[in-house]
Amino acid sequence: MADFSLKAAPVLGGLDLSIGQCKLVERTDIALISAAVPLDGRTAFEARLKTEWNLDTPSPATSTRAGPMRAIPMTADQMMLAFEPGPTLTEASVHAALDSDAYTTTQTDAWVILELSGAGATTALERICPVDLDAEAFPVNGAARTTMEHLGVLIVRLGTDCFLLLSARSSAQSFLHAVEISCDWTAP
Amino acid sequence: MSQQNRIDGGQIDRTATLNFQFNERWMTAHPGDTLASALLANNVRLVGRSFKYHRPRGIFSAGSEEPNALVQLRKGAALEPNTRATTIEMFDGLYATSQNHRGSLERDILAVNDLLSPFLSAGFYYKTFMWPRAFWEKLYEPIIRAAAGLGRLSGQEDPDCYDKGFLHCDVLIIGAGAAGLAAALAAGRAGLKVILADEDFRMGGRLNAETFEVDGKDSASWALAALAELSAMANVRLMRRTTVYGAFDHGVYGALERMTDHLPDSGGKPRQVLWRIYSKRAILAGGATERSMAFGNNDRPGVMLAGAVRTYVNRFGVAPGRNVAVFTNNDDGLRTADDLRAKGINVTRVIDARKGDVVVNTTGRKGLHTVFLNGDRHVEADCLAVSGGWSPNVHLTCHHRGRPTWREDIAGFVPGGELPPGMAVAGAAAGTMTLAATLSQAHETAASIAADLGYSGATGAPPKADDETFATAPFWHVKESKHRAWVDLQNDVTTKDVTQSHREGFRSVEHLKRYTTLGMATDQGKTSNMLGLAVMADASGKTIPETGTTIFRPPYTPVPLGALAGRARGKNFRPTRLTPSHTWAAENGASFVETGAWMRAEWYARPGETGWRDSVDREVLATRQSVGICDVSTLGKIDIQGRDAAEFLNKVYANAFLKLPVGKVRYGLMLREDGTVYDDGTTARLGETHFVMTTTTANAVLVFRNLEFARQCLWPDLDVHLISTTDAWAQFSVAGPNSRALMQEIVDDLDLSNEAFPFMACTDCTVFGGTPARLFRISFSGELAYEIAVPARYGDAMIRAVMSVGKAFDLAPYGTEALGVMRIEKGHVAGNELNGQTDARMIGLQGMVSRKKDFIGAALLDRPEQVREDGLQLVGLRPVVTDVILTAGAHFLSPGDPEDMTHDQGWMTSVAYSPELGHSIGLGFLKRGAARHGENLRAYSPIRGQDIMVKVCSPHHLDPEGVRQRG
Amino acid sequence: MIINHPLLGPRDAAEFVYLGDANLINRPEGLGDNAEDAMYDHVYLRDNPAGIHRELWYHEQGDRSWLVVTRNTLTHEVTSVELARDVARSMGRSR
Repeated sequence: MADFSLKAAPVLGGLDLSIGQCKLVERTDIALISAAVPLDGRTAFEARLKTEWNLDTPSPATSTRAGPMRAIPMTADQMMLAFEPGPTLTEASVHAALDSDAYTTTQTDAWVILELSGAGATTALERICPVDLDAEAFPVNGAARTTMEHLGVLIVRLGTDCFLLLSARSSAQSFLHAVEISCDWTAP
Repeated sequence: MSQQNRIDGGQIDRTATLNFQFNERWMTAHPGDTLASALLANNVRLVGRSFKYHRPRGIFSAGSEEPNALVQLRKGAALEPNTRATTIEMFDGLYATSQNHRGSLERDILAVNDLLSPFLSAGFYYKTFMWPRAFWEKLYEPIIRAAAGLGRLSGQEDPDCYDKGFLHCDVLIIGAGAAGLAAALAAGRAGLKVILADEDFRMGGRLNAETFEVDGKDSASWALAALAELSAMANVRLMRRTTVYGAFDHGVYGALERMTDHLPDSGGKPRQVLWRIYSKRAILAGGATERSMAFGNNDRPGVMLAGAVRTYVNRFGVAPGRNVAVFTNNDDGLRTADDLRAKGINVTRVIDARKGDVVVNTTGRKGLHTVFLNGDRHVEADCLAVSGGWSPNVHLTCHHRGRPTWREDIAGFVPGGELPPGMAVAGAAAGTMTLAATLSQAHETAASIAADLGYSGATGAPPKADDETFATAPFWHVKESKHRAWVDLQNDVTTKDVTQSHREGFRSVEHLKRYTTLGMATDQGKTSNMLGLAVMADASGKTIPETGTTIFRPPYTPVPLGALAGRARGKNFRPTRLTPSHTWAAENGASFVETGAWMRAEWYARPGETGWRDSVDREVLATRQSVGICDVSTLGKIDIQGRDAAEFLNKVYANAFLKLPVGKVRYGLMLREDGTVYDDGTTARLGETHFVMTTTTANAVLVFRNLEFARQCLWPDLDVHLISTTDAWAQFSVAGPNSRALMQEIVDDLDLSNEAFPFMACTDCTVFGGTPARLFRISFSGELAYEIAVPARYGDAMIRAVMSVGKAFDLAPYGTEALGVMRIEKGHVAGNELNGQTDARMIGLQGMVSRKKDFIGAALLDRPEQVREDGLQLVGLRPVVTDVILTAGAHFLSPGDPEDMTHDQGWMTSVAYSPELGHSIGLGFLKRGAARHGENLRAYSPIRGQDIMVKVCSPHHLDPEGVRQRG
Repeated sequence: MIINHPLLGPRDAAEFVYLGDANLINRPEGLGDNAEDAMYDHVYLRDNPAGIHRELWYHEQGDRSWLVVTRNTLTHEVTSVELARDVARSMGRSR
């Protein structure tokens, strides 16, 4: 057996940028697991989220959060669990916890996760995001899947001026370019 | 003398002076000027030449309707032709030149066209350049092209950048004049989310250009106060320099915001932003456009719309002339005289058509000098202010094909029929031609929208003003004039062209437009369409509404192509997808090929290799002789889970899947409902309720879409769930006789012997001491092969580690070209064969297709074309003389048959050079091909000029029994 | 164009992919005596009305729902948007 152990590499190298009034960070500390609700299994699934993490089931346009765990709506019968893994909360422990009540798939590697924050964040997003980000229409915890510069994006509002943007890992550079240019071109 | 025509007053900042150049001459202006107002201030009257006759032209209007004063702005690569001097906001260092002349503006040699005008009337091109036919391409067209058009393009890449964006509002208010401001105040106060957009850099519209009073203030001051109140509202977004150019479906409006056009330097920011505005409601408050009247030589510099004259005097503090005559058919025109006199400008005569006085001709070589009236009278004037009445700006109301209706009392078309849903119209755009009525109508419109949308906030009191008098008598055309009278200034269409069009039978409005080019210039006939209609109506003895009006389409004013493209230029035309080993591949000599959005390594050049074939041949041989590795992460991967996952797969694949054991992989053939092969790939069963499907790279998105359709629409009660994992895994194919030995070094504690892990086995495992992985024993190359997948974050480390370990086996990375060679050698079909016309029989897979179950494609397997006796079948091809290179696309002919469709036997789909066999090989479809192995045929390619003999063989050029991959 | 998604509210049509006549939900059985003729009609013959049309749209850049959108092809007015899965079930489709 050869002596190699593989080192994980974030797709954007753990990028951390300030552009104008925006801050743009690659979040490499978030694990993602999709959970599909079995047909006729919604009640059990919702109960499981509650007992495991005291987590409410998200509505189609709003994510829910409890402690380290956030549930983001993905499709009518599927959601994404996003969490910062710790000693007890791991990808394996989440798979195991949901075991018979959901069909789970690790998605950590399928996405690039950018956190866009700062006073210029919504103005920057105006240039690429077709979803209405007005605080009334898209309040904190609001979530939507949409398209930005031809790329599928899952956007979650973490705070008034703070957004989580998930897009496909393979096109991470193109996505970064789209967001970066938006920050730069709207900078005062 | 500098700015000799500058007078008191106006909304310009006299504390600052700006320098600008027109035709290389330096002049001064003030912030708040347009190029047009600055030129007039500096007594520049001649600013361009007309399109066809190269007549001297001056400034005609004070807004976006300008037909005459088109200039080239900036220089070098940033040069922009056909920009309207009347809308160009002055900045320090502005550089503009006149256009459409050869030689100087003053001495344009093409002005000879004006003398030829009797020959250049409507339809001239159609009639003249028909004969002789051969002259068109060689002679006429080049000459016409050289003379045609107005400005010239720079011929260089646009140095500016452009952006797009998305905005949302309760109500979009289009136009910030009296109506727009009143509506915005009411809506903003009520709490609606308001966007107020205006094409001008200074909001206020006619309030800035007239001497009205609103709420006891002069109108321009009231506009400023209204804007101050609106600016303080968080729910109101003021968008200056923004043209709403189109009304699209469901409350979506297109708008172009000019971000840096008014700055000397964009600072690297986008020049313009193309906004998509989503509105619940919209109020069109776009005002009205004044029109001219047709009389002799009415195109001379100095002939100007009366409203524009007031704009220059009141808003810009510029006298467009020192001795001004006024020609009007309405009361509005008379106010021009009052405003001029109030500024101390001499009004030489007011000519009121309603009293029987008309202008029959004008003279003055490069600018107006004398105005001739009926009854042999004349008057000296360097400016003639003309008002033929106002046409409501109904354009956006027609963008859903609504037709405007005629109102005789204002002699104009007003919005009629069905407006775009959600749109209301207020003010002059609605035909409300007086101020007090406009303000209250706009206020009421906004208040009722607020109530409709459930906003109960107070809208405040409507602004108060007096209604000025408005009496107009339709008057269009001074018929006693013997001289040419222009209808469309920009396209040089005269009344004579219109009457000729009528005489020659082009009488419908749409024909008139195309025959004379009336209204087809960059101004889209804003000042000319009504006049043209009126002259046509007169010629045909019909009323104007009977004559009709053409359809208005977006854009309201021209939108640069750069703005429509936005960021989608060059390498940013579309997103790029990179494989997990991309960085490593780039470091190791890979050249990349675009496959869809993916960049894949096509081969890895090594020092000393003189061409791509050297690299590809080496990669193929290295793989076949020892072991090679290829990044196959681009293949679509779909995680399929659920109690009914197996049953679901059984419905979407043509072959059986119910009994696939856990830990096994099966090739899956996917058909369309019409029986044609759609996609293929392998699907692995990881657990009782868990499968992973792979698709071709090209069809990954489409297959996912179709599976969702099957899941939601066809079998909605199956418990099955899909999620794409394409990007989640870095997957490598490791192929070749030494692949087992290499893999044994990589995976932890797994027996890879043929007995323990046979062909088509799969398992979860770990690699390099604990990294999670999935291992599949599948082969596309036909060799003993594995695919190993690790989470994408380990992809870069994985390829580097495997390459290190592989040194002992001379492990060679291979690209898509070698992949292609090996699949052709092995006779595996790919996109060239699966082209949307291929069924299972053609590729020899009919035995795989289940006849016992229903699946997508089951019902239409036996259409006549599919079961014909001489159907096409996949074969292999080899050149009879082995040093000949085969050509894909060549058609097969039996020796001695003529080269025609009747004798066509099929065609070559894929070719490659097989380094193992040492000659060119091919795959192809041949009629009854499976039974014709050994036969010699002609491969005939008239396109490539090739006609060679080929021998038909099995499509499996290598290892037909599959011994290697099962070994 | 805007499609008022039954779960997500109004969304830009750019997020959607168009398929066609909602009758594509009515897939006939692929086995049986009349299967070939019925499938031939299903695959090749569809109405193309000038007016009200029920059609399938897929929210590909969104929640991956297939929707049945009732649209007037003359005016683009959208009068109803339903989840295709609900429509399929109401038509008796099951598994």
